[in-house]
Parts: sequence; structure tokens; C-alpha cells
Amino acid sequence: MVARVLIVDDSSFFRRRVNEILEADARIEVIGMAKNGQEAIEQAEKLKPDVITMDIEMPVMDGITAVRKIMQKSPIPILMFSSLTTDGAKATLDALDAGAVDFLPKKFDDISSDRDEAKRLLCARVRLIAARGLATKPVVTPSVRPAVSKKTSTTIPKRKNHQLIAIGTSTGGPVALQEVLTKLPKNFPLPIILIQHMPASFTPAFAQRLDGLCQIEVREAVDGDQLKPGLALLAPGGKQMKLAKRGGITYIKISEPLLSENYKPSVDITFESVATNYPGTALGIVLTGMGADGREGARKMKQGGSELWSQDEASCVVFGMPAALEEAGLSDHVLALSTIGENLARSV
Amino acid sequence: MAFDGDDEILQDFLVEAGEILEDLGNQLVDLENAGNDSELLNAVFRGFHTIKGGASFLNLDSLVALCHRAEDVFNALRNGEREVDAQLMDVMLPVLDSLNDMFDNLRDGEEPDAADPEQLKQLDDLLGNESTAAAEAPVEAVVVDESPSEPEPSADELEDEFEAILAASAANEAQTPAEPEASDSDEISDEEFEAMLDQMHGKGNVPSNTADDASSGTEESATPLASGADELISDDEFDAMLNDLHGAGGMPGANQNAEEKQVEKQAEPETKQPEPAGQKSEPVAEKQEPAAEKPAPAKKKAPREAPPAAETTVRVDTKRLDDIMNLVGELVLVRNRLTTLQAKVDDENVSHAVTNLDVITADLQNSVMKTRMQPIKKVFGRFPRVIRDLARALSKDIKLEMEGEDTDLDKNLVEALADPLVHLVRNAVDHGIEMPDDREKVGKPRTGTVLLRASQEGDHIELSISDDGKGMDPDVLRGIAVTKGLMDEDSAARLSDHECYNLIFAAGFSTKVEISDISGRGVGMDVVKTRIIQLNGSVDIDSKLGEGSVLTIKVPLTLAIMPTLMIVLGEQTFALPLVNVCEIFDLDLSQMNVVDGQKVIVVRDKPVPLYFLREWLAQNPAPRADTDSSHVVIVAIGSQRVGFVVDELLGQEEVVIKPLGEMLLGTPGMSGATITGDGKIALIIDVPGLLKAYARRM
Repeated sequence: MVARVLIVDDSSFFRRRVNEILEADARIEVIGMAKNGQEAIEQAEKLKPDVITMDIEMPVMDGITAVRKIMQKSPIPILMFSSLTTDGAKATLDALDAGAVDFLPKKFDDISSDRDEAKRLLCARVRLIAARGLATKPVVTPSVRPAVSKKTSTTIPKRKNHQLIAIGTSTGGPVALQEVLTKLPKNFPLPIILIQHMPASFTPAFAQRLDGLCQIEVREAVDGDQLKPGLALLAPGGKQMKLAKRGGITYIKISEPLLSENYKPSVDITFESVATNYPGTALGIVLTGMGADGREGARKMKQGGSELWSQDEASCVVFGMPAALEEAGLSDHVLALSTIGENLARSV
Repeated sequence: MAFDGDDEILQDFLVEAGEILEDLGNQLVDLENAGNDSELLNAVFRGFHTIKGGASFLNLDSLVALCHRAEDVFNALRNGEREVDAQLMDVMLPVLDSLNDMFDNLRDGEEPDAADPEQLKQLDDLLGNESTAAAEAPVEAVVVDESPSEPEPSADELEDEFEAILAASAANEAQTPAEPEASDSDEISDEEFEAMLDQMHGKGNVPSNTADDASSGTEESATPLASGADELISDDEFDAMLNDLHGAGGMPGANQNAEEKQVEKQAEPETKQPEPAGQKSEPVAEKQEPAAEKPAPAKKKAPREAPPAAETTVRVDTKRLDDIMNLVGELVLVRNRLTTLQAKVDDENVSHAVTNLDVITADLQNSVMKTRMQPIKKVFGRFPRVIRDLARALSKDIKLEMEGEDTDLDKNLVEALADPLVHLVRNAVDHGIEMPDDREKVGKPRTGTVLLRASQEGDHIELSISDDGKGMDPDVLRGIAVTKGLMDEDSAARLSDHECYNLIFAAGFSTKVEISDISGRGVGMDVVKTRIIQLNGSVDIDSKLGEGSVLTIKVPLTLAIMPTLMIVLGEQTFALPLVNVCEIFDLDLSQMNVVDGQKVIVVRDKPVPLYFLREWLAQNPAPRADTDSSHVVIVAIGSQRVGFVVDELLGQEEVVIKPLGEMLLGTPGMSGATITGDGKIALIIDVPGLLKAYARRM
């Protein structure tokens, strides 16, 4: 399958660069370009691309508005190009909220220090998104495992012994977390920790955003934070978050990542630490995301007797991390995104 | 650094960002007048944003640093956190100048200088230090060193590490595909890089196997990816690399063994897998063609929605265009020659063919000329800033209006006109526009207006600079001409008002007593006129005391090909630029008068000095005795008219200007040479030069 791409950027310089990079991949075909959001909508309608790469700052109509309109009219997977600044983070989160699937840093050096590698990865990401399509769209690729749907639960028996909720997610996570956390009441009785794969400059804005939308309190975790009921702590980007106990109080330990650690923050690392500090008494949830981060951490939690939930395939933007959990037989309940929040509010 | 290698990309950047910079200059000036216009603020913000984006793509750190802060400032502005004020402008305009300097460096192939810390600080100050620090922090945080700061790994971790090392050493024994990135990248991007590697395995590429199955299936080929790594390899990383192989099949440099293994194991529907390199190279080669867009099926349905113009343009060195223009010039000459010959042959077929050639050559010439055309906007674009700076320096209120910015003219002309125009505009502002208080006293609005206008009039371009200032007083000009010794009182008194105004173009004429920074050195206008005449153009000024002045410049559309009037003097053919020619008539020599030693004829009640070109240019200067009537060509230079008596008129011909050889270069009165239709050489007359060199008094 050749991924047909529409490039949207107001800078002809960038359009050409992205075009060069994508066209160098035989499995990607750039079928059109647009200079602003308005053109993007028109082109998307006419050309029906598999993927749109979208800039945010553009004249006539900005990228976020364009995403919103395209997702309303004729939904197409959209990959945002954003700058890794505080304002860039806000805008990117808005774009994700509007329906964009994923984002990449506009400065390619932030993808990889090796330019060729960055180009390769950009192409790979575009192809992947094209192949996967949107979560709501029927999946064409033969990766659907029919067994999955059987396991999907809607209501979950209540368990009394939870003391902590830990949620890990990646691609598609910002929107998914928002969906889950906004369903929790203000007096939610347990502390929550969140691990979202995200650049360092994005997590503060993301936490702030969630805090504004949710009844519970959400903020970015800092070293030494204590866990509190009704407080969700978001793992800071570019770091690792663990738990530690001192004198019966559990607090957050933030550390610099090791060179070998792929994900910063890593769901595995935090989940392992949860397994150590809350043996059998934590609830681990893995939401949408590429890759398999979280599986090994979840395994350790499971070994200690903790419960694990995972998001079902149909509601995932990318069914990778939850799939890894399911395939390893770790998931106690496979849930549609829309039911996770309710279940969480009810079952603890 | 990308700076050295990617020349093509750098040029691309310079073209786009250069245009944005030009726009930014104007937008900033507009902003100062318009205040907090949100559209404009957005546009300026995007301008800096786009330049920053390109600059960071090319790792031009000094540009990025400056643009990044400027962008932040405008972000604050558009969010209403700050107001546009003079202080802001006093910082932003020099920032723009610095950016322009950096661009000049880049154009010269040099690394731009580091951003001026003083300027960076000023920008930071504009933002208020806190917000800048916040905006910078994430970027820095990302780059912060990643040296392991975990002093006491737990037992579990040690075990993991041990396993990982084992895995790594096993990997070393296997064949190593070209994937060094996994081990040597020590920058931020590690995380994302790895994450993406992992993410690349998607459902689309792994049809039947789960991620885990795939992992074990291709373990052998995948493990080596990590070889050479002196760090631990986690499952994830391992998965990631493996997935990379799935996803990146067909990439140049990907390990072929691995590819083949995958194909065997998974029977991927993609037939190109077995020979990724070969398959790949073909389409890539195709794509390197400049405008090679893959035809999308959708285009057939809607042909007009082809990808935007950006992809249909090719950048061409102007040198190449010059070459093409020269060749077309040669073609024009051959065409001229053929047209002449055809008259002798008298064959209908030949004459048809020649007529065809004539038409096509004309079209070709036009098309080639168009490729060299640029809108006058290129020059006009700098004026808002010029006016703004002048107005501030002179404490005058000035509004600039522009018309016809889209008028196209030859690139060389655009460049050649830039300096003279700037000088003329400065002059209009400095000498023309009065101080606001003075304007008020005479009942004019406090704000003076300067109007720049461009339009195409037939085969030439007319540019005008008008101001509604104080105008010029012809008597004052006469007086100055006398005091400066340019002419005696009688001659001065005889000058028409119009001629007086044009005195300002005379060498050594300056109306301003005090020499200011802006103008008034007395050489400027003279130089300007010379420059414009060199371009085969003309300049003229008209004025009305108390109401303002209008300066008009006429230049040909192009410099390379010139319409001329071919004349003969003795045995020799000369070409007289048609732009100078006003009228032609036959003269009864008996009507000629001699006034003050100068031969004069009266044309429509106006005396016109008459010169016998034969006396100046023919080998045998003696007048022809066989006739008592002669052809007279009236030519105009500026407001002045003179008559040239010539022996023969051949007619109008478009000629290609060839420079005179070294021997003749600088011959007074001759601007070049050309080859005529009959294959002879004709010298092209430079009318002002000729008069200067030969006429007694001009």
C-alpha cells in the first residue's frame, strides 16, 4: 500500500523539505500540498489523502481550526508538526483535542540527532498512520484479532483493596487521558499517577490543561511530591518517575533517565516501582499507544496481585501498548475508552 | 553542519526567508502606524516563526536565537500581553537589520555572526525576563545532559543490566547491519528516536504476527542492530529495533539479510522487499527531476487542483538567463539579416518562412524577457522603512503611498534603479516635505505624502515620485545657478521654469545650504541622472511652488534589446535610441537661423538648436552639396530638445546591444555597437554623451 499524503505548511521551504523526505520513500506518495488551513480543507476533500501532515501557525486559517473542520467533514488521520516550546505544546494539545492523531517536532533534529535517521523515522510514522487509519475506521490490515472483542468488558466488579491508580499511555494518550480523568469526581478517593510519553516541554502544559478540564486536581509531578487522594500527578517528560516510601508516606522520586532508556517517562519503570511499593494494591491501566512500554512493569504488578485494565482496540488511536498487555495475558479487563472513566469512578 | 553541504536547500531557504524578511520590514513599519492590528501581529509572528523554522532546519543557531525571541515577543503582542510602542520598534527594527546582515553573510557563503547578546537581551527585556526564561527552559531542559545520575541501581536493575550486556556481546558476534545510530546518539532525541523505532512496527506492516512473535522470529537479524553499544539493551529497545526492520524495509542502508528473512517468514504482500536497493533507486532517480510530481489519479478528475505553484518553479541562475538572452539577441540579429535578404530573393516561400521566423522570434524574445522580469515591488519594498527612518530623523510626519508595485521590469533594471530611487525619495522627503508646523501654517495637513508610482507605458516603464511639499521656486533656482557659476544671468533668465527645475540635475547644484545627513551633497542628483541615462532612460522633474514636485523616470523594459532609429552619416550606419527620438521631418536648410553662433530652427514656434551629426561623426565632415533639404531628427534629453541633421533615414530596427571592444570602450557619444539587418556594424549613439562631448553648450 502506498501512503498518499497531503502536506500542509505555509512555508514553501518546509513543504519542499517534507516533500523531499517523504517522496524519497517509495511507499509514500505526496499527492498534494496546501499553504494554509483553508486550502488544506479543500485539498483534503478533493484528494482524499491517507494522511495529512499539518503545520500549526498558518495564515488564513491555522492548523488547529483546519484539523477540527477536517475531522468534522471527512475525518482523515492528521499528523501535526509542532515546535517544542510551551506555546507549541498548548497548540499541539489543542490540535490533538481537535482530532489530530499524533505530532512530531518540527525541528527534525529533535526527532533524531542523525538527519537521515530522522527522515527515515518521519516516513515510517507517516506510513504507519496511513496504514492504521483512524480508530473509528474499519481496520484494513489483517492485524485484527477477533478474540479481542469477546473479552471486552463493560462493567467491572468492585474491588476494595485498591490504594493507587497508575495509568500509562503514548500516542493518542492526551485525548484518552482527558476522556478518562474528566469522568472522575472531585472527591475521588485514591491517588493517581499518570505516565504519558511526551517531550519535556509538553508535560507542564498538558498537566495544566488536564487540571483545567478535570474535577480532580492534576499537576506535573516534582521530586518529593506526596501522593494524595484526588490528586493526579503527571510524570514529567524527559525524566523517570518512581515511587519511594519513607516513614509510611509514599512520595515521588524523579530521576534523570539512563541513556539506555527508550521512553522518558517510561511506563515500565513507574509500574515496576508501583509493583514494589503497592504489591497487590494498585490498579494499572494501559491506554492507547505505539510500542509495548508498560508490559513488563504490568507483569511485575500482576505478579504481586494487582489488577490491570487495558483499552480495547476499537477505541485506540494506536493499538500497541494495550495489545502487548492483552497478548501477554496480563489484562484483567479490556475496556472501551468511554467506559474506563465510569468504571474507575464506580469500582474503587 | 548542514550549512556547508546543503547549498541547494540553503538557497531555497534564502529565497523564501529573504522574501519574508522584506515583508517583515514593511509590516513592522505598518505596525507602528496601525498599532495593535491583530492580523498584522499574526503575520509578523508567522514571519519570524517561519524563518526560525527554516533556520533551525539548517542549524543556523544565531538566526534561530534571534527569531525565537522575536517570535516570543510577537506572540505576547498578539495575545494582548503587550502593546506596540516606540520602544518595541526601536528594538525590533535593528533586530531586523541584524537578520538582514546574517542573510547577507549566508548569501556570501559565510557562517552568520553570532547574535548580538545586547540585542538578545533587549528582546528578553521586552518580554520581561521571566517569560523568556520559561520559554527557553524546555528547550534547554531537553538538551540537558543525560549522564546516568542513578547512583545506586537496585539488585533488579543490576540483573537486567547483566542480561543486557550478555545480549549485547552475543550481538557483537552476529553480522552488523549499518545502524550505528542506536549506539552513538547521546542527545535528547534518543527517547523519541527509540520510541519511534518501536512505533514503526504497525499493524500494516506486520500482517499476522503479534509484536512478540515477530520479535522472536527475527531475533537473529535484529539483535546485531545494537552491536557496538556499550550500554544496556532493554527489551523495549530490542523490540524497537526489530520493529524498525519491519517498518523500514526498502530503506537504503537497511540490512538486506534482515529484509529477506522477513519476507520468508511473513510473506509480506510487498513484492519489492527482496531487492530493496534496486527497487528503490529507480523511483528516486525519477524524483530528482525538478518538477517531477507523481501524477495523482485525483488530478485527472480535477486538473486545476494540481499541487501549488511552489512545486512548478525551478530556480535558475541569472547568468543562465543572461546567456539565453544573449542567444535570443543573436537570433534577433539573424532574423533582421534574413528579413533584409528576403527582400532581395523575392520568393514567396522564403518570404513566408521569414515571416514565420519573425513572429516566433518576437514571441521568443518576449518570453525570455518575461523570465527576467521582476516586480518593481522589489525596490519599492524598501521604501516604507526608508521613509519611516527619515521621518523620525527629520521629525517630519510622512505618509508613503505606492501604486503599481506589481509592474514588471527587467531584473537588471530593478537592481540598477534601486539606488537612484532611494536617493530621489530621500531628496523628496528632505527638500520637499515641510516640517509639520510649517505645513499647518500654509493650510496643509501636518502629514506630508510621498507617492511612488510605477506603470508600463508601451515599451518603457514610467516611475514617478511625487510629494505634496513646498515645491521649487524657479527664480531661486536661477539665482543658485548663477551664484554657483553654472551659467550667466542672461542664460539663466532665458531658461523656462521647467528647465529651471531640471537644473537640480546639474553637477554641483545643491539647493540646501546646510549639508545634512540625508541629502544635500550636491552630487547626488547629478549621479542619479547619469545612472538613469546609462540605463537608456530619462529623468524629468516638474514642480509647482507650494504644491509639490513630481519626478518622472522613464526606463526601457529591458536593457538587452533596444528599438532604434537607423540613420546614415556618410558611409556609416548609426543607431539612435528610439526612446530619445521625438519627431522626424525634412528641413529646408534655408529656414535655418544662426543665433548667438548656434544653428537654430523654429519648430512650432520653439527654437531648437540644430547640429549636423555629419560634422561630428562622419569621416568626411564636409556637408553634402547635392541637396538643399535634409532629414532632421528631433531628440529629447530630459526637457531639452535638439535637432540632429542626418544624411539618410533607414528606418526603425530592434537591435541587440553589444559592448564596444576594448579599443573603443569609452568613446564619447557611443554606447555600444550592433549588427544591422544587412550584416554591417552600426554604432549606437548615446545622445547625452554625444552632446556633452561635441556641443558647445548644453
